Amino acid sequence: MSSPAVTYFEDVEVGSRHETPAMTVTQAHVNMYAGVTGDHAPEAGLAPPLFALCLSTGLGWRIARPPLVVIAFMGIDWKIERPLRVGDTVRSRSQTMVKRSMREAGVVVEEHQIVDQGGDVLQHGRFTFLVAKKEALT
Amino acid sequence: MTGPPRRYFEEIEVGETYESPGRTVTETDIVLFAGVSGDYNVIHTDAEFMKTSIFGERIAHGLLGLSIQSGLLTRWMTPYASLGVAGLRWKFKNPIKIGDTIRVRAEVTGKKETSADQGVVTLARTVVNQRDEVVQEGETDVIVERRRE
Repeated sequence: MSSPAVTYFEDVEVGSRHETPAMTVTQAHVNMYAGVTGDHAPEAGLAPPLFALCLSTGLGWRIARPPLVVIAFMGIDWKIERPLRVGDTVRSRSQTMVKRSMREAGVVVEEHQIVDQGGDVLQHGRFTFLVAKKEALT
Repeated sequence: MTGPPRRYFEEIEVGETYESPGRTVTETDIVLFAGVSGDYNVIHTDAEFMKTSIFGERIAHGLLGLSIQSGLLTRWMTPYASLGVAGLRWKFKNPIKIGDTIRVRAEVTGKKETSADQGVVTLARTVVNQRDEVVQEGETDVIVERRRE
């Protein structure tokens, strides 16, 4: 049985960019998100701001590439520039900014943007991950 | 029509503190959040794989914890006349496991007028579990309406 392909710290390339497929945000998304989390939209017709942030990671999984072997999601530094409206079609763009080797794993910092159908950046910021090393497993 | 009471920028004071009710994070919450967000990472969805991990079991999405604390805090405080969130600086310190009960404590640490009709209130937030261990912490900048004269 072979393991699925994954990306370890050693194979992360600083500067690499990815863009996800787009998704149209519907009232159903907003209702389900609000129901699960208890976090509601500030007004009718808008999505809760954190919902867009949550989509950023979910959309990332739709890129056909071996996923990062994330040990821990360490932190977020995030800015919200424009509201996400029901009916907007958004995609996520990311770029690897920094990789820093630690003893048994490595830190990877990615810049993420949530972009709407008109190309406007709604939200953006940095995600910091702790990523497994190949050598630590052998 | 007057809605429920809301607090305007001028009425919020630096140093105010809030504490939310608790909420037990269930397997159902994690499964539903995977469906809503599209994040099916194995660390949240593959129980067998996670038996072999340092956590020993599936853990909640960090962003589920972030979203839940946002909802929790608004349940036990008079809501701000808020226009949304301008930004956040957030750290995931410890995993949230199935069955953990989390709550959030918050303090107003800053206020800044940004225009004639709104300002930004900064809240330092600490999310703790049933053992009072910090699972997440950070700051959020909330945009709040100024009272119209």
